[in-house]
Amino acid sequence: MLSRRAALVFGVADLLTAAVVGLGVFTALPARWWPVDSAAAVLTALEVAAAVGLLAQATWGERVARAASAVALALGLFLVTVLAVTASWLSGVYGPVGAGGAIILTLVAVMALPYLVVLPVVELVWLRPPPRTGG
Amino acid sequence: MSTRGLVRWLVAWLLATALACAVVHHAFALDLDEAHPRAVLASVWREGRLVARAVVAEPGEHPASLDAAAGESGATLVYESVVAEGPVVVWPEAALSLSFVPGRDGLSATFAGHTAYVTPDELLAVQAYDHGITIPSMQIATGLDLPLALAAASAALGVSSRDLLQHGTLRRIRVIRSVAGAPPARAVTAESLDEADVNRAAVAMGRYLARGVDEQGRFRYLVNAPTNQTLPGYDWPRHAGATYFVTQIADRTGDPDVRFAALRAGALLRDHALLHCGDLRCIGEQDSDLADVGSTALAVLAFVELARTHLDDGYALLVPELTAFLRAQQRADGELMHLYDRSAKRPVDIQLLYYSGEAAFALSRAHTLLGDPRDLDAATRALAHLVGPAWSFFGSRYYWGEEHWTCQAMDDLWDRAPAATRETALTFCLGWQAYGRKLMYAPTDTPFDGDGAYGVGPVITPHLTPAGSRTEAGLATLDAATRAGRPAEELAVLDAQMRRSMAMLLRHQLPGRAYLFVDPPAIDGAMPGTEVDWQLRIDYAQHTGSALVRWLDVDGRTRER
Repeated sequence: MLSRRAALVFGVADLLTAAVVGLGVFTALPARWWPVDSAAAVLTALEVAAAVGLLAQATWGERVARAASAVALALGLFLVTVLAVTASWLSGVYGPVGAGGAIILTLVAVMALPYLVVLPVVELVWLRPPPRTGG
Repeated sequence: MSTRGLVRWLVAWLLATALACAVVHHAFALDLDEAHPRAVLASVWREGRLVARAVVAEPGEHPASLDAAAGESGATLVYESVVAEGPVVVWPEAALSLSFVPGRDGLSATFAGHTAYVTPDELLAVQAYDHGITIPSMQIATGLDLPLALAAASAALGVSSRDLLQHGTLRRIRVIRSVAGAPPARAVTAESLDEADVNRAAVAMGRYLARGVDEQGRFRYLVNAPTNQTLPGYDWPRHAGATYFVTQIADRTGDPDVRFAALRAGALLRDHALLHCGDLRCIGEQDSDLADVGSTALAVLAFVELARTHLDDGYALLVPELTAFLRAQQRADGELMHLYDRSAKRPVDIQLLYYSGEAAFALSRAHTLLGDPRDLDAATRALAHLVGPAWSFFGSRYYWGEEHWTCQAMDDLWDRAPAATRETALTFCLGWQAYGRKLMYAPTDTPFDGDGAYGVGPVITPHLTPAGSRTEAGLATLDAATRAGRPAEELAVLDAQMRRSMAMLLRHQLPGRAYLFVDPPAIDGAMPGTEVDWQLRIDYAQHTGSALVRWLDVDGRTRER
């Protein structure tokens, strides 16, 4: 069973992730594109559900939080891969991306990493189910 | 999943991503081989149109099939050697559009065993670069205009664009250009830039604008350079700014054509844009209820310059009426209310980009001409506000905008402003220029000739006008810093920054590749928006031209000191 303090920390972090993803995609992006929009909608809903479950210490809270973390990690790794490959493609086509371009790409990657890679990994490790005992 | 399993999985992902990046980069990077071109295209251009083409073995070869076209008056034979070729991503369309480096890459299209080339010259002539993807909210235009490029390729192959896209093979090509019989052009660099270069370029810019002034005094506001067509649109602030610069050139050259153009442009402002704003006079549209501070401020600059240079001393009589309007728009804290409601006869207290800086500079210039202490007081208070409360927020030490008039006002007021105000202003302006240096492209930052331009990333073609306007402000800062006795090392850094920008601007002055224009003399001296965007708006030449004139003035003063 997750401690109350850990549930609070992860619950708030999941809520923050939901806000960042929701606002980032549906407010900050200048155009709508269904693959990005639907992935963001699913992730936002899962993160909100996980936050509610953890903060309320519901029995299903940890399960949903693990599912949300797995989805977030998958999407996060996919996003970082796409960004890295896109940067490689751009540098192949245009040559060196320059200091400014490198800073922008790094900033985008760094903004995504804490929410979509680091936090899900920590949650998955912390919330992993206890090993089954024999008998 | 166990922790160990998760770590293994992440390491595998990291390796796979790194490998994918290396493969993608290798696949799309061009391997330039100038010694062994894949093809050499000989093209005959006349009046901006491609009239004949042949594939030849090497540059300089003159195929008989081009003789007739190349022999015509005004024809130019150009060789484009394909020195590299690479794949493109055909889906999504945005990726295909971004697969071509503007001004450097062309397109090769193969269909049913036949290959057609659409070279960078052809794409420049139809202005296909940077018209593929537009994001209006961010004022971004980038990528190749695919319908235009594919139309050219499909016409050469005799197929439809759709068939070509679905069944053909598209690749990008990198070419090296040479013009038959033309000596290598001298490229101005930051190191080689001299007074003669700058003077020649400034005068050419002034003459370009002056040639466009019609009988009524209107400029050719927006011109599509390749076709020499005038496009719709007009704007009083830019008209006034252009009048100011043309007057500067008239004064420097004494050229009667430029003088009369400046006088006609000034007269248009005086006779058709001078309105009543309550009891005062302002500049604006006759049929609009709103007048703005920017139009009036720039008109003051133009009128002061016309009077100061004695092109027409009578303009000095109009200046007090207009500066009275500017002063009436000023708040107690030094900020200006930028609009005036002519129906309600009251100022509208909103702020728009540039206007307060323009007003500070205009009021300062008016004071130098007429000596009215109220103008000096208003200019000084506006400057103090601009470099103080107006730019005071969390992060204001790390971020500056595009506003380029404040530092010109600071330099103009240097001998007349209180010491505290001018020191604060100089710190502000030096900070802005330092910020600019961080954003400045180095020679190897982009595939473009962009050393000295400002921007981020390699995809957006460097814009020239922001470099021109920042150079106006930067040179004013350099002048003030010199007078303030700043250390030589600090001045040298700023001087080098200015020289890089000016050299870059001079390298892009039109006509450049004259054979791509219908009427090269008509656009001689003009400044384009970017090295591939050849729409010419009057403020492009004005900002760069005024920067060059300022450099000549500052350089002259430095020599005197």
